Amino acid sequence: MNETVLTLTNATIRFGGLVAVNNVSFSLQKGDLFGLIGPNGAGKTTCFNLITGVYRPTSGVIDFKGQNIGGLPPAKIATLGICRTFQNIRLFPALSVLENVVVGAFLRHTTSLASALCYLPPSIKETRALRQEAFELLEVMDLSDVASVRSADLPYGKQRRLEIARAMATQPELILLDEPAAGMNQKEKEDLQSTVRRIRDDFGKTVLLIEHDMRFVMGLCERIFVLDHGEEIAQGPPEAIRNDPKVIEAYLGEAV
Amino acid sequence: MKFWGVRLLSFVLAFGFVYGLDVVTQTAFPNLYRLAVLAGLYVTLAVSLNLINGITGQFSIGHAAFYMIGAYAAGFVSQHMYASQPLGPVLWLVVMMAVGAVFAAIAGIVVGLPSLRLRGDYLAIVTLGFGEIMRIVVQNVDPLGGAYGLNVKPFGEPPKILWLVWLLAVLCIAVCRNLLKTSHGLPFIAVREDEVASAAMGVKTSSVKVTAFVIGSAFAGAAGALLAHSETFISPDTFKMDVSFIILTMVVLGGTGSITGSIMAAVALFAIPEWLRTMQVMIPGSSIVAGILAVGIMVSGFRWVQNNYHESVSKRIGAYLACVVGAAVAAVVLSFVLAFIPQLAQQRLDVAMLRMVIFSMVLIILMLLRPQGVFAHHEFSWDWLSKVLRARKGVTA
Repeated sequence: MNETVLTLTNATIRFGGLVAVNNVSFSLQKGDLFGLIGPNGAGKTTCFNLITGVYRPTSGVIDFKGQNIGGLPPAKIATLGICRTFQNIRLFPALSVLENVVVGAFLRHTTSLASALCYLPPSIKETRALRQEAFELLEVMDLSDVASVRSADLPYGKQRRLEIARAMATQPELILLDEPAAGMNQKEKEDLQSTVRRIRDDFGKTVLLIEHDMRFVMGLCERIFVLDHGEEIAQGPPEAIRNDPKVIEAYLGEAV
Repeated sequence: MKFWGVRLLSFVLAFGFVYGLDVVTQTAFPNLYRLAVLAGLYVTLAVSLNLINGITGQFSIGHAAFYMIGAYAAGFVSQHMYASQPLGPVLWLVVMMAVGAVFAAIAGIVVGLPSLRLRGDYLAIVTLGFGEIMRIVVQNVDPLGGAYGLNVKPFGEPPKILWLVWLLAVLCIAVCRNLLKTSHGLPFIAVREDEVASAAMGVKTSSVKVTAFVIGSAFAGAAGALLAHSETFISPDTFKMDVSFIILTMVVLGGTGSITGSIMAAVALFAIPEWLRTMQVMIPGSSIVAGILAVGIMVSGFRWVQNNYHESVSKRIGAYLACVVGAAVAAVVLSFVLAFIPQLAQQRLDVAMLRMVIFSMVLIILMLLRPQGVFAHHEFSWDWLSKVLRARKGVTA
């Protein structure tokens, strides 16, 4: 099990004079449930954007299974096996729930565009197979009853779950969840916790997640990394983080 | 093989349809032959632009440029080379379509590349500029005839190619439909819906956009090649900016992304002005003003029904009819009243002269009442129609 999936070494990004992420280093082993927390504006989502290729790191190395992926285009990184969800849900609103998932699964298509334009048997077969695969994933994620609904018409909690399903459809090795529990009620959060656990346990994915809800993170993640003003302030198991004076200071302010 | 049997049958049916259309038009409506050719070309143009604008969401308003590039490339080659090669007219036309398509596709790559960095309004400006630049370049190149235009008469008399024009339209429709039927179409829609998210899902957004531009412009180029041969004469004025805008209007009005919407809007928007052109009726100015006011009353009535009257389908249809009747009564009364103003009553105008006014009014009304286009993102099908009707009833249930 001790196989390193992702390693950030001194990852830094500057936007002009602002250093959004400064010398961040951490590493994820295969099968980790890793939490990334920090106050608002700490640089958590920027970290995700560095890993998924939205931004190019100013300096530092982002190593995914032995390859430096810093600055590769997002589509390439997705193909290598890193997929993500977004803090503000970004589904394809006009597409159905099933089609949203097929877009993720389409990553593994083998037939050519020309064959699709001529509607030849291989591409028909592939379309059918991808839809079937997507439907099975929807069943796992408990969304199969709304498969043909326009994704924009889904209730909020299901949209969040659909985003995870869509990311899962690319069959990534590492899945990044950006505030998956935001805006959910207690019941939905508990469901989500078990879903995330299942992603790790049943599908063997490595999970890196950003979350504000402390109880959610502490109950779920085995290791936590705390960012503040773009810099690491603590790293370790939940119990250590909970009692770390620096973390308490960052969240609650300095002791008087 | 059942699959290939069905495929063969559909080819035969498509071919039979276009050939039948040609024969029927030639024998029964010879006056409409040229218009039917142009309508077929507009269907191709609208459906191919729909691939770029509607399905992939790249706002391009320079489609006439690709049309022109195809027309001039094929026209120039045809004029200079037809005499010195062995192919017959039909095969030659097919080759010319390919020539037009290739040249336009190359132009499509050139325009597609900036689209990788520009989106929305900015891309629209670039495509608009590209269209104008190409037109002015052609206007100033003497071998292409410059502002005088280019004669394309390789066969002597203009060829009867209505069937070929509509075959191209059917091919274009089939390609777009196949794209949307298979999973290969989803990345195109995904790029339209959310570019960042589609890239994160592994969609190569750049190649999707350029592919859309290449396919769309290739069909426009092939259409241009057929236009050059059937009209036997092309000039830069044939491809002015308003052609681009008419094609864009067809796509938007039919519902962006809907193939069937583009087809119907193309035929309708092409036919309305042509039909009005034949109406040689003189109308007094007072009646024209009354008519415009009555249309205004009708549209406000429709909008009121749309927004405030949530009854059953039959009651709503009744309300719409009441608006129409009310507007008609208002038109009669108003034209009677306005006839007392001598300046208006004595001014007489031809309907044919007013055709662009009427055309734009139809557009404004449609955009007011149904801004998402007639078919919105949907395709026309009987299933869809019945679903819409049932959904309307569901409002009261």
